Amino acid sequence: MKNTLILTLLFAQTLSLLAKEVNVYTSRHYDSDELLYQEFTEETGIKVNIISGKGGALLERLKFEGKNSPADIFFTVDAGNLWKVQKEGLFQPITSQLALSKVSNNLRGPNNEWTAIAKRSRVIFYNPDNVSDDEIKNISYESLADNKWKGRIVIRSSSNMYNQSLVASLIDRNGEQNTERWAKSLVENFARKPQGNDRAQIMAVANGEADLAIANSYYIGVMLSGDAGEEQLSAAKKVKLVFPNQLSSGAHVNISGAGILKYAPNVENANLFIEFLLSDRVQESMVKKSYEYPIAKVPISDEMASFETDFKEDSASVKKFGELNPAAIKLMDRVGWK
Amino acid sequence: MVSWKMLPFIVAVVFITPILIVLTSLFGEYSDNWSHLIEFVLLDYISSSILLVLGVSLGVLVIGVLSAYLVTNYSFYGKNTFEWALLLPLAIPPYILAYTFTGLFDANGDANILIRYLFNLNNDFVFFPNVRNITGAIIVFSFTLYPYVYLVTRSAFLNQSNSIKESGRLLGLGQISIFSKISLPLARPAFIAGLMLVIMETLSDFGAVDHFAVQTFTTGIFRTWYGLYDLNTAMQLSSLLLMIIFLFYFLERFSREGISYTNDNSTFKTASVTGLKGLKSLLASTFCFIPIFIGFILPIIELSLWAFETNVDIFNNKFLVGSFNTITLGLFTGLICALLAIVINFSIRFTKNKFLERLNSLMSIGYAIPGLILAVGITRFLVFSDQNLFTNINFVITGSLVGLFLAYIIKSYALANSSIESGYERISNSIDNSAQLLGSSGGKLLGRIHFPLMRTSFLTAVLLVTSEVVKELPATLILRPFNFDTLAVITYTYAAEERMYQAAMPSLAIVIIGIIPIIFLTKMIRSSRIKNS
Repeated sequence: MKNTLILTLLFAQTLSLLAKEVNVYTSRHYDSDELLYQEFTEETGIKVNIISGKGGALLERLKFEGKNSPADIFFTVDAGNLWKVQKEGLFQPITSQLALSKVSNNLRGPNNEWTAIAKRSRVIFYNPDNVSDDEIKNISYESLADNKWKGRIVIRSSSNMYNQSLVASLIDRNGEQNTERWAKSLVENFARKPQGNDRAQIMAVANGEADLAIANSYYIGVMLSGDAGEEQLSAAKKVKLVFPNQLSSGAHVNISGAGILKYAPNVENANLFIEFLLSDRVQESMVKKSYEYPIAKVPISDEMASFETDFKEDSASVKKFGELNPAAIKLMDRVGWK
Repeated sequence: MVSWKMLPFIVAVVFITPILIVLTSLFGEYSDNWSHLIEFVLLDYISSSILLVLGVSLGVLVIGVLSAYLVTNYSFYGKNTFEWALLLPLAIPPYILAYTFTGLFDANGDANILIRYLFNLNNDFVFFPNVRNITGAIIVFSFTLYPYVYLVTRSAFLNQSNSIKESGRLLGLGQISIFSKISLPLARPAFIAGLMLVIMETLSDFGAVDHFAVQTFTTGIFRTWYGLYDLNTAMQLSSLLLMIIFLFYFLERFSREGISYTNDNSTFKTASVTGLKGLKSLLASTFCFIPIFIGFILPIIELSLWAFETNVDIFNNKFLVGSFNTITLGLFTGLICALLAIVINFSIRFTKNKFLERLNSLMSIGYAIPGLILAVGITRFLVFSDQNLFTNINFVITGSLVGLFLAYIIKSYALANSSIESGYERISNSIDNSAQLLGSSGGKLLGRIHFPLMRTSFLTAVLLVTSEVVKELPATLILRPFNFDTLAVITYTYAAEERMYQAAMPSLAIVIIGIIPIIFLTKMIRSSRIKNS
């Protein structure tokens, strides 16, 4: 009796070792992602287990689980989050050459600890009724501090990580003192106290509450798709998108990215999973639903294709965002960016 | 005999450990981020937190106490409905009301669009004031949290013997003086207990204040953790918050030490109900209707509008499993919390052990810890247990449901405790004395006498906890096992991507599941009324 029990237990354990699975901690929550995971399972027989949550909280869980962590993949938005995991030494290098060959250097960890899976740009939306082509032409993040924009700009709060990354990239490029001066003037140009999400900023511009909104590119795609309701669709049609810094550094680009964890129990499956995410077919179907920009050279969504597609990207490495994030927050605190 | 006396201590210690782990950060190192916080932001965090707590306290006391007084002492149009419907906003988590508020009252929100349409105004016209500020936050918390005050105060008013009020009347007091000089002071322990819950929930909330971009202590805690990557300082900030709450808690306890509010049963007389007519009746009805409208009807309308505007297939597997998980977790946690509260409170009453009483208060402040910070304490505790206590068992409790239950119990024990405590306050000490004289003590006294007397309080405890667990989000997100969703998690995953339309249906489901416990509460309220009148 006892022996059979032990045998059964052993058997169960071997089974669980053989079970083909990959465990993913993710802070992306797209239904379309989940459908892709199902495809991965159908294709490879590897089951995808998911825990989703905020990046920082997942990192904390990883840290405390340590060697016992069941997680294989950390999949998140914002390069800062990837940098944090990297800094804790919790990644191992991605080994799939097939995957790595598709990603340019500035969109990967220094030792291939992580890779970008999709891109988004932080752009400027404007209301053509209130802003002339002349005014908007050759606009840069830096020039948003100009006096002529006084009371005309909306942007969300400094608690938002997209803003933190943007400011971090400016600190990287222009230095902390210059950026602080810039931020001070920018705050004076706000049309209202920072509030609401990126979409709320675009809506404010569409409704004439403000003339310029700084927001992530993909939001306009969601709004234009009509999935978010009639009201947002008609608002989205009223605004135009412009990529800043086209004559200088290029538009700020941030990533969704993934890495394989140091104590991953299923390293091989994890590499396959990343390969899968970077394959042309998956890239295309992913960005068509998330309205991000792909890493592989595949067509983008029709909604995003209705704007400029061949824009200049800031080639500065996204690696700096995480490192400079605390400095960016403190800077925004100092200038009273709520 | 030894075992049941020790049990409360052991249990209490297990539940307090994660809280203590958070508090121990106070004895750790203080990083340079503190000087930045103190110089630039801490004052803002503190002042807006204080403003928020004061505003919400005033709000919930006015709504909760007055409506409770009206429905227990007067009869007016719709009173029987209001008596239970006033509880309905309990089903709406503050963050969901906040989402619907901006959906309604933003410049291009549905309410403003409606006004423009009705009065044929142009698109620039904005009728409603901006809600994304501290006033908006105060309104949202007041109208979602006042039921905690209403619930306990109402039963306190019901249990006030009419003979006291009659004495007041004989001594020449008018209706207002009877309320302010007799009923209100006698109900103090009840509404203060309710108010403490409200204050703790307000201070630990993140979702609503974040949505309104109001910078409070909690938003500061998260900025420090996520933005400055400084978990230790974030935990120190949380500890500071806990210490402040703890101080309030003890001040309140201290201020009524030695005062007994129990009735001497032999002279108990049920309240007499005064009939209101005409304008007075209308005013009373309006006063009771407003909180139900703002805290329940309005968000339901807006969520339904959103839900119908999206043609998403919602009754899929994910949704159903999520609902099942939510209900099971809620009920199970409710039962554990209520049992725990009754055993511990019984021990306190029976053994008069001051230490256990302190432990019990400490357990209650778990309610005030922001869910995510609590999750950190729990994870540390579980990992420690895995590495040191359970090394021989091939089972890792980190990342299992154990952590989730622990979080829920710590987070909602205060609700069970306040309900059981106020139940005990109503059992006269003379009952214990008689029982003991007749040879009933210990477990017998609890099982045969206290438990039957406290059935209502027990059920209230279970239901309050259940409705809280159904709404809980931050701790669930980080502690849940693989592929384990609750409705709050599903709502969040949509809301995080700013897709309120898709978030509407799971939100509605949270509300609907939250209503189930309230229906039971309602039934009890009805029966308590019948018994009392």
